[in-house]
Amino acid sequence: MEEILNSPYVFPAIATALIIAVFPLVAGYIVLAERKVLADFQVRLGPMRVGPYGFLQPLADAVKLLLKEDIIPAAADTWIFWGAPVLSTFTALTAFAVMPFSDRFYVADVNIGILFILAMSSIGILGLILGGWSSNSKYSLLGALRSAAQMVSYEVPLGFAIVTALMVAQTLSMQGIVQAQYDKGIWIAFSNYGLMLIPTALFIIAGVAETNRAPFDLPEAESEIVAGFHTEYSGFRFALYFLAEYASIFVLCGVAVTVFFGGWLRPFANVGFLEVPLNVIFPILLFLLIGGGCGVGTMRVSQAYEKGIMAVLTLAMLLVAALFAIPAVNVLIIGFFWFLFKVLILIYMFIWFRGTFPRFRYDQLMQLGWRYLIPISMGGLVVNGVVLLLTS
Amino acid sequence: MATQTTFLDTNELVLNMGPQHPSTHGVLRVILKLDGERVLGTECVIGYLHRGVEKIAENRTYQQFAPYVDRMDYVAAVSNGLGYCMAAEVLGGIEVPERAQCVRVILTELNRIASHLLWLGTHALDIGAMTPVFYCFREREEVLKIFEKYCGARLTTHSFRIGGLQYETYDNFEKDCHTFCDWLDKKVDEYEELLTTNRIWVGRTKGVGILDAEACKAYGVTGPVLRAAGVAWDLRKAQPYCGYEKYDFDIPTCQNGDTYDRYIVRMAEFRQSTRIIRQAVDSLPSGPIKGKVSKVFKPPIGEAYVSIEAPKGELGYYIVSDGSVQPYRVRVRPPSFVNLQALDEMCRGALIADVVAIIGTIDIVLGEVDR
Amino acid sequence: MKQFLKTIFLVDLLQGLWVTFRNQKPSLIYTEQYPKERPSVAERYRGAPRLNVHPDTDETLCIACNLCALACPEELIVVGAERNEETRRKELTTFTYDTSRCMFCGLCEDACPVDALELTQDFELASYTREGAVWDRQMLEEGPLPTEYKH
Repeated sequence: MEEILNSPYVFPAIATALIIAVFPLVAGYIVLAERKVLADFQVRLGPMRVGPYGFLQPLADAVKLLLKEDIIPAAADTWIFWGAPVLSTFTALTAFAVMPFSDRFYVADVNIGILFILAMSSIGILGLILGGWSSNSKYSLLGALRSAAQMVSYEVPLGFAIVTALMVAQTLSMQGIVQAQYDKGIWIAFSNYGLMLIPTALFIIAGVAETNRAPFDLPEAESEIVAGFHTEYSGFRFALYFLAEYASIFVLCGVAVTVFFGGWLRPFANVGFLEVPLNVIFPILLFLLIGGGCGVGTMRVSQAYEKGIMAVLTLAMLLVAALFAIPAVNVLIIGFFWFLFKVLILIYMFIWFRGTFPRFRYDQLMQLGWRYLIPISMGGLVVNGVVLLLTS
Repeated sequence: MATQTTFLDTNELVLNMGPQHPSTHGVLRVILKLDGERVLGTECVIGYLHRGVEKIAENRTYQQFAPYVDRMDYVAAVSNGLGYCMAAEVLGGIEVPERAQCVRVILTELNRIASHLLWLGTHALDIGAMTPVFYCFREREEVLKIFEKYCGARLTTHSFRIGGLQYETYDNFEKDCHTFCDWLDKKVDEYEELLTTNRIWVGRTKGVGILDAEACKAYGVTGPVLRAAGVAWDLRKAQPYCGYEKYDFDIPTCQNGDTYDRYIVRMAEFRQSTRIIRQAVDSLPSGPIKGKVSKVFKPPIGEAYVSIEAPKGELGYYIVSDGSVQPYRVRVRPPSFVNLQALDEMCRGALIADVVAIIGTIDIVLGEVDR
Repeated sequence: MKQFLKTIFLVDLLQGLWVTFRNQKPSLIYTEQYPKERPSVAERYRGAPRLNVHPDTDETLCIACNLCALACPEELIVVGAERNEETRRKELTTFTYDTSRCMFCGLCEDACPVDALELTQDFELASYTREGAVWDRQMLEEGPLPTEYKH
């Protein structure tokens, strides 16, 4: 027993199981958050009917998707049609393996971490292409072609932006990158006399494109090609694509946070006197605020079970707030808190973009990618390199 | 051309867009011939919403047919009602009182705003901006509330009767109109902030679906599409009806005749419409609201054609009377139907995404195309 | 130059982002949660038809003149009448109104000389059967039962 517990595989195994078990739920709630935030931008309410303030909507959606009839079009290439969403989901979830959630919680700290994530996201595209191709539908085919072209072109500026950051960090390990930012005392996004802001911006733009989000959501542009590559998918397979999409959004935001925004470090990680306000008071206040909001919600909902759910939520939030007050626990969870906090801010920005911008056209997308983003990212690489060389 | 034997099958891709498609605005079916994403040709298939409105007219009395015209361009039902009633009035030689004329102008302009709001929302949605549609529907709701208060229906209003109006204005009508106009002007500024200068929006609309003035005239295209091509043709100015000559307003025009210009023209029309509404509300005369029409409306033998400037273009009603209580023949000149003819010319050489934008920019309502 | 700087710093895009951002204010939410909150419709709303009765005597106001049936474009009103030999008057026996074909144009209420037929503010007309949409005299006089929702 002792031996098993001390084995280096135990914690990663637990972490993997945890991620695989919890992420679908998290993805469901990211979808709910997206619908709510989007509704907020659009002067409406969003889901309100399932549970208090639509809180149980993700569960209802999941049940619906699982119970739906599993349709495979007669002309589809069955095996590929079957395997494509699995491939997408598999790669998207695999990328979590090197995600540094905090200084303690991660599955593996591989010395090629960032390359691993890039590789996995590239293979994930294959799932979209195969799915679109095997559906044997014209809309799906167009969507698949669009996604292929888009991902290939936007991976280049994405890669260049990361390379620029890696030059500053001097390592490929995800933990190492965060550590480097701690040592430098500045997030990579703001380092190098602010010049790193260029690759940061490029990374976010290319990342939006890479994850097929608006305004680059051409592969699934519903007003043009209905639903793009997943037009013919329904039920559980569709749910897998959905999961993969949100997983890759999470991964991409995680990468952005790790590489550019200090990972699990708090803002101003080296300024000692901010330790208490930022690591203790801020999270406590935040969760108290959320808990207070839930408490007000408890008063407002009418049904008994809704009241119950809201009360439990309120208590849970207060409990989390209390956890941050205990120094021993605080040390364990504060890194995770900051990582998640930054990722959620980025996801909020993604939703904000979706709520604001019109969609690009296919040729404009290519033009933006090849004529602007790639040269700028290369320029950013050269300029940052030169500055690094001169200042070192 | 001799068929070349190639390893790969490089035929054109024929794509059926519609009748069930998120952005063919109802049940339009467009058969696209594609080379990759590029459109080589289009063919419209219409008639999925054909209800035989013109034939129905031959079996209804003149008054009974009035609610049916609302169901053609259901987005601009008031304009349809106005056109039909005016045609019947010309046929029967009926004088419409001043007050009725003025209320008619107010309601038609409100309806123009409602129609344009729906166009803006769906057009933006087609191009991928999903937020404006909700803002537009919010503003449109206010127009519909005014309609509801005035005549009891929101969409298919049946607010005009032959000879004038059925309903007197309600108590706060003037105030409601003023409040709405002030509010809308602010909101239009907000839309412009959101879209007009946005580079993605400009990129998606500038140079897309160009239809120049000559082509417009050749196809008989009217309305904002024609005005965006630089022809200042507006029936409200060209042959004023309903006392439009009394109001001070401009005809917004542009030069290029592309999707962006049509957007600009319609945005300007919002402001012109609020301008007209303000003037009309302020100068609302008192008096009767219905001219002398007998309960059994029997126009003399003859025919009449009346056209008005509907939100989508020239809307014409041609009625032939055989002296009975039912029209002998009614023919409608729907602007959407005529404008839709230009789709093929506008789409050629564009991309799929442009086709969607172009269908949106013509501003069709399938109820009117198919009748 | 100003234009160029605006282009570089994506001013047009930021402007759009600001518009959507400031519309997040919770007070701007426009949604009406329909079954929970019933909308208040205007006084003149043209909804469910009603055949008015005299408030004191409970006798129908309808004089069975058949004008509404004649005015109706869809010919969905059928008025049944019988001549009362004593008073020498037509008296209403049956009245059917097919709401499934009705387009609520209001021509019937305009035609009614005694304000007996009226389109009311009731707008919940759904029925599980087609027959349920055909209203008889009793239904028209009593009005549809208000729908209750369990949220």
